[in-house]
Amino acid sequence: MKRILIVDDAATVRLFHRAILESAGYAVDEAVNGIEALEKALQSTFDLYLVDVNMPKLDGYGFLRELRGSELPQAPAIMISTEAGARDEQLAYAAGANAYLVKPTRPERLLLLVRMLIGEVPA
Amino acid sequence: MAFIKKSPGSETLAHEERRFARDCAGLALELESADASERRWAARDLADCPDASALLLSRLQREDDASVRELILSTLTRLGDEVAVLGLVNCLRSENAALRNEAIECMKQLPDEVAPIMQCLLADADADVRIFAVNVLESLCHPEVESWLIQVIESDAQVNVCATAVDLLGEVGSAAARDALLRLKARFADEPYMQFATDLALKRLAAN
Amino acid sequence: MADTPISEEEFQKFREFFYRKTGIQFESSKRYFVDKRLVERIEATGNDTFRSYFTMLRFQASGEELQQLTNLMTVNETYFFREEYQFKCLVDSILPEIVARKSSRSPIRIWVIPSSSGEEPYSIALYLLEHWAGINDWDIEIISSDIDTRILAQARQGLYSQRAIQQLPVRMLQKYFSRVGDGYQLCDDIRSAVEFTRVNLSERADTRAYRNFDIVFCRNLLIYFDDISRKTAAETFYDALNPGGFILLGHSESMSRISSLYKVRKFPEAIVYQRSLETR
Repeated sequence: MKRILIVDDAATVRLFHRAILESAGYAVDEAVNGIEALEKALQSTFDLYLVDVNMPKLDGYGFLRELRGSELPQAPAIMISTEAGARDEQLAYAAGANAYLVKPTRPERLLLLVRMLIGEVPA
Repeated sequence: MAFIKKSPGSETLAHEERRFARDCAGLALELESADASERRWAARDLADCPDASALLLSRLQREDDASVRELILSTLTRLGDEVAVLGLVNCLRSENAALRNEAIECMKQLPDEVAPIMQCLLADADADVRIFAVNVLESLCHPEVESWLIQVIESDAQVNVCATAVDLLGEVGSAAARDALLRLKARFADEPYMQFATDLALKRLAAN
Repeated sequence: MADTPISEEEFQKFREFFYRKTGIQFESSKRYFVDKRLVERIEATGNDTFRSYFTMLRFQASGEELQQLTNLMTVNETYFFREEYQFKCLVDSILPEIVARKSSRSPIRIWVIPSSSGEEPYSIALYLLEHWAGINDWDIEIISSDIDTRILAQARQGLYSQRAIQQLPVRMLQKYFSRVGDGYQLCDDIRSAVEFTRVNLSERADTRAYRNFDIVFCRNLLIYFDDISRKTAAETFYDALNPGGFILLGHSESMSRISSLYKVRKFPEAIVYQRSLETR
């Protein structure tokens, strides 16, 4: 089973994303900020990261920069933001994101991106 | 045996180089030192100086060492005066995501100081500032918190501001929020996230 | 107990809040354990309902109740060789890195706080003697601090009950302790390996002298502090450590709830936090 780490400080958002991803057959773990996400990434392997931008202690950009600059096994990352601005999307890609989603999440859009990035492209 | 006993300060204090006087003028200079460790100590010790907040805020804008920024923000939180709070509010508008989130964390530690300007922040023209304001509300012990959150979900047009408020209402809301949550659910009927979040919050209100 | 039942939704609310504040996550299977302790605190604080208690827990300015509850939810006993895997990490992973980096033969400095009644710092001394070959080549300074002067006196004395020493191998017990009445007296060699000092972590005047440490052990202390004190402590350790120095927290503690100053390092035995090498 493919494993996804949800990194978001809002509990409701984590629950929502967990419900979507679990019902699509993924295993899910959670972290409330970038540092906890790094701790989890050090302790187990994930196939994808779903990362919020604004979080305490270490934000989403900071987490992705650390992850990409580390010797940890790499996996694709989707950055999720409340901002639709081009600037933020650029920052996300510069930090190492592979896709950018604007909140509130549409389940079908999220699953489409997840499947594509994990490599489960429909035939 | 290879264990040595020595009092902790005996060597270290003697070694300590004090290039700057520990008075306020000296600390202000040390805050601009090229050495990050000296800047951190200045940021700590400035807590005892008048007008420290303005100095610290000015350094914060230019400081690129994260460890020094953390110390500056801690001292600003400890000071918590009007200058510090307004400076933190300005950080919410920063282009720098790390600084914005650091400012939110500090403001959460200053509920009494932030409460008087909360309504103003919740009415800010910038939706992101309104989201940050709701984030700060999480730690605010104020009789108005629930009614502010209700006001947000009743009137804010931006879906993500409302979503942030709903997340918190699920934790602090009472039966008084029920009708507003139902109206919000209807207002964003085509947003799956809002359906999920309002249902969850309503369920948690019902538990009370 | 019967009149303050905690509903499923209340349990979920509490679980999310507690996870956010402490990083401790309860599985649903822990429900009974959590409920029992919550009800105990609800009653002890004179609250009638979970709701009123939860409001108090969230908003109490001193954070005292959250500390009380955390105390109940985590087992905080101190005894010799508690969380031994961290000492293994010290010997197998951390010390080799530190030694490889040392440019001089200056002593390796370890700060252990809180000292409590001495089990922690003495365990480190004992573990190093028994398991670290480098002990013959390197000088070690172990400084252990506590805010409580009575407990410091007790630590210096080095007299322990059966419960404190039960994790120690019999061989080590025989080698380093002698029976005194129904207690165990630690030998002078080990007692003199540790320097005890009084420190209030929240006092700049107290902590300023603490510098140039290679390793800080601060296990099961910060979790009981309020947010600001805990952050202040992490900042204090940062300047107490040499660049590249390490900090070890208790097993249920995570720097992710405290400060972003440190790098997370994973060694085979444990997760530890490190002050980055390049910064000053």
